[in-house]
Amino acid sequence: MNQQLFRVALATASVTAILSRVPAAAQTAAPPAKAGTVQAAKNWTPPRTPWGEPDLQGTYSNKTITPFERPANVEGREFYTREEVEALQKRAQETGGDENRKRGTTADVERAYNDFWWDRGTKVTSPRTSLVVDPPDGRVPALTDEARQRAAEESKRPAFRGAGATGRGADTWLDRSTFERCITRGMPGAMSPSAYNNNYRITQGPGYVGIQIEMLGGTRVIPTDGRAHIGSSIRQWMGDSVGHWEGNTLVVDTTNFTDKVLYRGAAENLHLVERFTRLGPGEIDYRVTIMDSTTFTRPFTLAIPFVNTGEEMFEYACHEGNYGMAGILSGAREAERAAAGSGR
Amino acid sequence: MNLHRAIALAAAAILIGSSSALAHHSFGAEFDANKPVQLRGTVVKVEWINPHSWIHIDVKQPDGTMVRWMIEGGTPNTLLRNGLKRDSLPPGTEIIVDGYRAKDGTNKANGRDLTFPDGRKLFVGSSGTDAPRDGRDATEPAKP
Repeated sequence: MNQQLFRVALATASVTAILSRVPAAAQTAAPPAKAGTVQAAKNWTPPRTPWGEPDLQGTYSNKTITPFERPANVEGREFYTREEVEALQKRAQETGGDENRKRGTTADVERAYNDFWWDRGTKVTSPRTSLVVDPPDGRVPALTDEARQRAAEESKRPAFRGAGATGRGADTWLDRSTFERCITRGMPGAMSPSAYNNNYRITQGPGYVGIQIEMLGGTRVIPTDGRAHIGSSIRQWMGDSVGHWEGNTLVVDTTNFTDKVLYRGAAENLHLVERFTRLGPGEIDYRVTIMDSTTFTRPFTLAIPFVNTGEEMFEYACHEGNYGMAGILSGAREAERAAAGSGR
Repeated sequence: MNLHRAIALAAAAILIGSSSALAHHSFGAEFDANKPVQLRGTVVKVEWINPHSWIHIDVKQPDGTMVRWMIEGGTPNTLLRNGLKRDSLPPGTEIIVDGYRAKDGTNKANGRDLTFPDGRKLFVGSSGTDAPRDGRDATEPAKP
């Protein structure tokens, strides 16, 4: 089978699998699968590596139009109906984000260019109404008072710690996010879908799993030989990951984060447990449970399908051509000169 | 910027976390919503670089002189997946750019919309793209 046919076959298999998970009774939710439990397709035996471990290897995309948190219009409902999935996909394919853009607004500028340049995805890859699968309301739990206090004091820090496409001003590059500085989207930001470069390559060797991340580059090397975490005084941007196999599921525990990058207000106390389970030839069920009692009032779990694309990965040498950073800083200097000139 | 507003923005930004809808950096911080610009020029070169591609065009002024502009576009990674290559937009091609001018006053703009002089949208016709229609190009084929 040539590569393109292979891709089509994979994509078709994935969509069929997704639609088959949509509850048949259109307006009723499917029997809720317990968060964290996954069942592979029937009559399918997950492959093994030559050395006997479950084989997750391949190139995957996690792009999706499944909402991150459950929208108000499907409150109380865990799954979209088949008709809703089809309507959402039709809308994404036919209109994208361009038709509702209002010229002359900052929102329009932030959308940057028209939809051709993006790779957001046009498929509901999970029939769930949100990527947040626990708590049951599909919403990120409330922040602790401590986290709110920290957020209010964020401007006193020497560098901005946000990981989105934004900043706290532009006096220096340190006022811009770690994403804009081409450092990292943090964790689990680096494993979450974005507007493009949503591609991952998983490779394995005896006792190791490697996850290459296209957005901003970098590879997570996860030992599965039973070793303990590194010492608690050693802190890393992507944390320290150790893995083990539970049946056909790769379970990865990550701690030892730095205090230099935030995920929704959490930093060095973040503790993640990820679970990777192949559901069939075309998809990995990826789940990550996010814990930090100093930031969130309870743990929460995301379920993000990783769909096998068979595509190539491309390098994203982000800092090499990051003219945008220079443009943001020089734009702010120009605004200051203009303000000084007008006597303000 | 007003300090309270800056703090509020920073607090909001860190609580929201990674954005899924926007580019790798803030276009709103780089380009000015109050300075829309339309440029008609010829392609000089395409910088096929990450995190964003840049198209250099020469724009003819009323007095006949040429002014060079740089237009910021998307990542080459996405363009490659949509079937484009570095030489898909050869030098000498005439294009029309609708965008917003850089806040620093230099001759840079984002390529919000790129079209050929006959109205066809740039990059349409590269078959197999998953890109949604935006309704701007009447010749754009309907999605199956």
